[in-house]
Amino acid sequence: MRGLILEFIIKYGYHVNMSHNFGFINRFSSSWKIFIQNPLGKAGLSILALFALMAFASFWVHLLGPMYDPMTGVDPAVSHSVGPNTSHWLGTDFIGRDIFCQLMEGAKIAFIVGLASAFISIVIGTVVGMVSGYAGGIVDMLLMRMADMVMVLPSLVILLIIAALFGQLNIWMIVFLIAILRWPAVARVIRSQTLSLKHRPFIEASRVAGASNMRIIFKHIMPNVLPLAFLYMTFRVTSAILVEASLSFLGFGDPGQISWGMMLQWVWSSGHMFQAPYWLLPPGICISLLTLSFYMVGRAMDEVLDPRLRKEGKE
Amino acid sequence: MNRIVFISKKAVELFILFFLILTVLFFLFRLAPGDPVTRMVDPMLTPEDAAHIIEQMGLDKPLITQYVIYVKNFFTGNLGFSFHYGEPVVQVIMARLPCTLLLFTTSTLLAALAGVFLGKISAWKKGSRLDGVLSISALVCHTLFVPWFALMMLWILGFKVGWFPLGGIISPELWIEESSFLVKTLDVLHHMLLPLLTLFIIHVGSYLLLMRSSMLSVLKEDYILTARAKGLTDRVIRNRHAAKNAALPVVTSVGLSLAFSINGGALTEQIFTWPGIGRELIFAVSNNDYPLAQGCFLLIAAVVLSANLIVDLLYAWLDPRIHY
Amino acid sequence: MTSNTRPSPVDVDVFQYQRRVWIKVIVFSMICLLMMLFLLSCRGETTKGVLKIGLPEEPRTLNVWLASDSNSWKILSQIYQPMYVRDPDTLELIPWLAKDMPVLDRESMSYLVTLKEAKWSDGTDFTAHDVAFTAGVFNDFKVPRYYSKWKAIDKIEVLDDHTLRFFLKKPSAIILSRVFTAPMVSRARWQPVVEAALKTKKPLRTLQNHKVDSPLGTGPFILSKYQKGTFLYMEKNPWFFGTGLTLANRRLGPWVDGVIYRMYGTSDVAILALQKGEIDMYWWGVQPGYVTQLTQTPDIELFHNHKSALYFMGFNLRKPPFDDKILRRAIATLIDKEFIITRLLQNYGVAMHSIVPPGNKFWHNPDVSRYSEGLTHLQRIQKAHDLLKQAGYTWDVPPVDTDGNLQQAQNIRLPSGLPMEKQVILTPPADYDPKRAFAGMMIQEWMREMGIPAFARPMSFSALLDKIKGKHDFDAFVLGYGKLNLDPDYVRTFFYSKNDKPRGWNMSGYNNPAFDKLADAQRLEMDNDKRRVLLLEMQQILLDDLPYIPLYNPDILEATSRKRFNGWVETLEGIGNLWSLCMVKPVTVMEP
Repeated sequence: MRGLILEFIIKYGYHVNMSHNFGFINRFSSSWKIFIQNPLGKAGLSILALFALMAFASFWVHLLGPMYDPMTGVDPAVSHSVGPNTSHWLGTDFIGRDIFCQLMEGAKIAFIVGLASAFISIVIGTVVGMVSGYAGGIVDMLLMRMADMVMVLPSLVILLIIAALFGQLNIWMIVFLIAILRWPAVARVIRSQTLSLKHRPFIEASRVAGASNMRIIFKHIMPNVLPLAFLYMTFRVTSAILVEASLSFLGFGDPGQISWGMMLQWVWSSGHMFQAPYWLLPPGICISLLTLSFYMVGRAMDEVLDPRLRKEGKE
Repeated sequence: MNRIVFISKKAVELFILFFLILTVLFFLFRLAPGDPVTRMVDPMLTPEDAAHIIEQMGLDKPLITQYVIYVKNFFTGNLGFSFHYGEPVVQVIMARLPCTLLLFTTSTLLAALAGVFLGKISAWKKGSRLDGVLSISALVCHTLFVPWFALMMLWILGFKVGWFPLGGIISPELWIEESSFLVKTLDVLHHMLLPLLTLFIIHVGSYLLLMRSSMLSVLKEDYILTARAKGLTDRVIRNRHAAKNAALPVVTSVGLSLAFSINGGALTEQIFTWPGIGRELIFAVSNNDYPLAQGCFLLIAAVVLSANLIVDLLYAWLDPRIHY
Repeated sequence: MTSNTRPSPVDVDVFQYQRRVWIKVIVFSMICLLMMLFLLSCRGETTKGVLKIGLPEEPRTLNVWLASDSNSWKILSQIYQPMYVRDPDTLELIPWLAKDMPVLDRESMSYLVTLKEAKWSDGTDFTAHDVAFTAGVFNDFKVPRYYSKWKAIDKIEVLDDHTLRFFLKKPSAIILSRVFTAPMVSRARWQPVVEAALKTKKPLRTLQNHKVDSPLGTGPFILSKYQKGTFLYMEKNPWFFGTGLTLANRRLGPWVDGVIYRMYGTSDVAILALQKGEIDMYWWGVQPGYVTQLTQTPDIELFHNHKSALYFMGFNLRKPPFDDKILRRAIATLIDKEFIITRLLQNYGVAMHSIVPPGNKFWHNPDVSRYSEGLTHLQRIQKAHDLLKQAGYTWDVPPVDTDGNLQQAQNIRLPSGLPMEKQVILTPPADYDPKRAFAGMMIQEWMREMGIPAFARPMSFSALLDKIKGKHDFDAFVLGYGKLNLDPDYVRTFFYSKNDKPRGWNMSGYNNPAFDKLADAQRLEMDNDKRRVLLLEMQQILLDDLPYIPLYNPDILEATSRKRFNGWVETLEGIGNLWSLCMVKPVTVMEP
C-alpha cells in the first residue's frame, strides 16, 4: 500500500529537483496524515490489512497438517458438507475440505489478480490517454481506433471464449488478459479530460513559455488527470477481482488455484446453494468486502492528491 | 459543416473496424482446436458419419474459400445457418434480440437517471448523513457479485416471498389460453420486474459514484461561485449549472458500460432464463457453433460501436469547448 | 449552503410542476402494481389437467434428422415412435409400433415384422410404406447415427400395408436393438421434402435445415405451441395407438390433457420452481446436495435410479510408459474407488469394475479382476509397489522402505533405467463436469504417492476430444459415457483394433487380435446366450489388459411434486421416459 502511494507521489513529483530530497519526504508524510484522518481511508486500510494477513497466512497453513490443504486435503472423518465446528472454523465443503483454508487461499489469489491487472491496465491506459489527448491528429486517431477495437470486447465474454476454445487458462494469463482488455476505458476518460484541459489557459501559458510537450504532459496535465485515474484504478481492481470471480464461478478459471469465485462454483454445482450458508456466504462477502475496501482506499487517496476535494476546515 | 465531415469520417472508420473484427473472429473460431462434430460424443456416430457432417457443413473447404463465401454472404444479409439449430443465424438472433434490448436499455436508462439524480443530491449534501448512506449503498451495490446476487434475489423475492415468477419472460398458461393483449403485456412486465430490479441495483452504484465525484469537481469551479454571487437559488445552481456539466463523464460512461453490462447480462440472463443474446453467445461458443457465435458477436460489436459513436457526438454537442 | 433569498416565481412554478409529476408517477405505479396482483390471482383454470415439466435447456431443433442433443430428443421421442422399445421392468425389447417380435428366417437371412394398426396424428394410417420410406432416407442421405447400422439391411420388401420383410447382408446380432429402435417418420409428410433436398448440392444439410413447424407423429403427444426460449406445449394425441392398450403390464394413457415444458437456466432455480409449484417434475438429475432439503419438504418425491453409464480412466497404449500392462495394473491398484463414491458422488453411485454397468445384468461380468477393492491405503501402496518392483521399476526413493513403512516416493524409473517423464491426465473442465475434473486430481495425487510424475489438467471439452480422439496426442484421460446403450456392442466398438484411427472410437489404441476375433464373433452371433458367453470373455480380457480403468457409475436422482400428479414409471436411467408420460395421472382428491 505504501509502495503504491510512493509510486504515485513520485510521478506527481516528477519535476521536483532531486536535491530537494527532504521536501519529498515531507510531502509524503503530510499526505499520509491527510489520508489517515479520512474515515474512509482508515476503514478501507484496516479491512485491506485483514485480508493481507489472510493472504500471508495462506502460505503457512499447510503446516497445520495435510488435512488442511485447501485443494486436496480432506478430513478422513468427514465426507460431506458440515457446518462450523472446532476443527473446521467454517465447516467443510462437500468433499471434506476445510472452508476457512480455502478462503485464505482465495484472498491471496484475489490480491494477485486485482492488483496486478489493475496496475498494468492503469499504466497503459493513462499513458495512452494523455498522449492521445494531447497530441491529437494521427496519433490520437490511431490510438483511439485501437482502444475502440479493444473496448468493444466485453471482457468476461472474451475470456470465456478464449477459455472455451483453447482450454483452461493459467492464472497469470487471466491477469494479463483482464489487464489488456480493460485499459481502453481508462484511456478514453483520461483522453477526454486531457482534451478539456488542453485548452485551459495555464496550458497555453506553459506552451508559450516554451515548455516541451513531455513536460506539459507529465507536469501539468498528469496531476489533473491523476485523481480520475485513481478513481478508475480502484474501479479496475474491483472489476478485475469480479471478472476473475465470475470466470471461476462459471468454471473457466484456473483449476489449479482456489479463488473465491471457484468456491462459489463448487457450492453451486454441488447443489448446496441454499443449504450451506456457512459455505455460500463467506466467499461472496469476502469478494464484496475486499473490493469495497480497495474502493474506500482509492477515495481517500483521491482526497490526498486533489486538495480541492478535501474537507473544508482541515489543513 | 465540420460536424458532418467529422461524422462521416467516424462512420467510415467504424465500418473498417467492424470488418477487421469480423475477419479476426472468423479465423479465431476456425483455428481453435475442435469443430462442431468433435463434441458429439455418441457411440453411434462413426468417423464416416463425422466426415459426412463436416462435408455437408462446408468445413472441409480451404479456409480462404470459406472466408470469401462468408463475406459474400454477409453483404446480402445472410449470416449463415446455425450448426445446432439448423436455422438461419439471422433468425435465431432476431428472435432473441428484442428481449435483450428490452431488458438492458430499460435497466441502463433507469440506472443512469437514478444515478445522476442521486449522485447530484449526494454531492450537493456532501458530508451529511444522507451522503454517507448513499455513498456506502452505492459502493455495496457496485461490488456485488452478480450471479450470487441474482440468485439471492430470485430466492428471496421469487420463492420465499413469492411475489415474482422464478424467471422466464412469460407464463405459459396465459399464452395457451389466448388471453388478451393487455394481460399478456402485464405478464411480460411482471416477469421483467425482477431481472430489471437486479440489473438496476447492480448498475446504479457506479453511476451514482461517478456523478458524485464529477459533481464535486464541478462544484469547486469558479462559475459556480459566480452563480451564487448572482443570487441564484440552490436548486437552479445545482440543476442548471452544476449537474449538466457534471453529467458529461456519466454520459461517456453509459456508452462504455455497455460492454460491462453485457458481462453481467449474460449471467443474469442465464439465471433468470431470460431468452436473450448473451446466453446464446456463450452457448454457441462452447458448442463450436461458428456461424451463430460470429453472428452474436458481430451484433454486440455493432451495438457497442454505434453506442460509442453516439456518445462521442453527444459529448461534442454538450461541451462547447471541444472542437474538431 | 443555506439559501437566503426567496425562491423566484419561476422556481416556484418549477417546484410545483415537479411535485405534480411525482404524484402522477406514484399513482401510475400503484395502478400497475394492483393490476399485477390481480394477474397473480387469475391463474389458468383450463390448464388444470396439464402436466408441467422443467427442462434444463431449450431443445435445439424439432427436426428429427438434425437433433443430436438430449433435450431435443426428450420432445421428439414423444412424437416419433420406433417399432420396438424396452420394457421398463425387464429391459427387454418389446413390440411397440410392431405387433409381434420379429420372426427370423435363417435360410433367407431375413426378419419378418408385422405392424400394429396405428394412425398418424392427422388421422391417416401408419403403414409399412412409412417404415420402408424412413429406411430409404437413412440410406440415401447417410443420416448420421442411423446409417452405419441400417447399412446392414440389404433390402426391404413390403408385403402389405402391415407386413415387411427385412433382408440382411450377413448375420448380425444388433438388428433388433439398434436398427429396429429407430424412429419412424411419415412418408406423406416427408416425401416432397426429401425429393427437393436430393436435388440440392448438400442434400443432408438441406434436409436437416428444413423447418418443422408441426411434426407429424404416432406418439402420445403432438406439438401444439412452441414459444422459442420459453416454453413448449404438447397436447394429447387423440390418435395415439397405445391409448387403452395394456403393454408391459400397464394400461397406457396418456391420462393428462397435455404437457407444458418450461426452460430453466440453472438447476437451482428449477428446484425452487418445483417447490413453489410452478412445475411438477424436473427432467434432469438433481445433485446429491439437495437430498436432505428435498426429503424434508412435504409434497416432493425423490426418485433414485441407476444409470447405464461408464466413467473411466483411459491410457494411450501407443507409446511408453502406458504401453506396459503392469504399470496400468499398478495404477488400477492405487485408485481408491470407494473414496470417489463416498465423497464425489456422496454415495449416490456404484463403483465400476467392468466396462458393462452392473445394472445391465444379463451382459455384465461380475467376476473380472478387481484391483483395489477392500484394500486399505497402506495395502494398496504395498501391492502396487510389489507389482512394479517385480516388473523391474526402480525408484530414487521407493514408496515402501526396507522396514515396510510408507514414505514419500520420488522419481520412479522405468525398467530400462530411464526416469519417467511428466504424464498429463486430461479431464473435462470443472464447469462441464466437476466430478471428472476432481477425479483426475485425486488420481494425480494417488499416482504421485508412487513417485509417478502425474499432472491432472482440465481442458475445454472440444479441445480435449480433439486431442484424444482426433490427434491421439495424450498420455491419459478421464472421460465418460453418460448413456450407454443396453446392447453391449459398444464393448467391441471401443476396443476393436480397426477403430484405432483419427476420430475413431478406439481412443487408447488397444490392439489385441484375440479380442478382435471374439468381437467379430459376437457381432454375428444371433443366439443371445451364446453371445453372452463371448461378451463375458471379452470383458475378462479387457480387465486384465486395462486399456481403460472403469471408475464409477453415478446414480440419477430426480424430483417430482406430489401435489397434482403421480404415476411415474421408474426404470434404468430414471423416470424421464415415454412410459412415465403415458402413465402419469392427476392425483384424485379424496372427498372428506
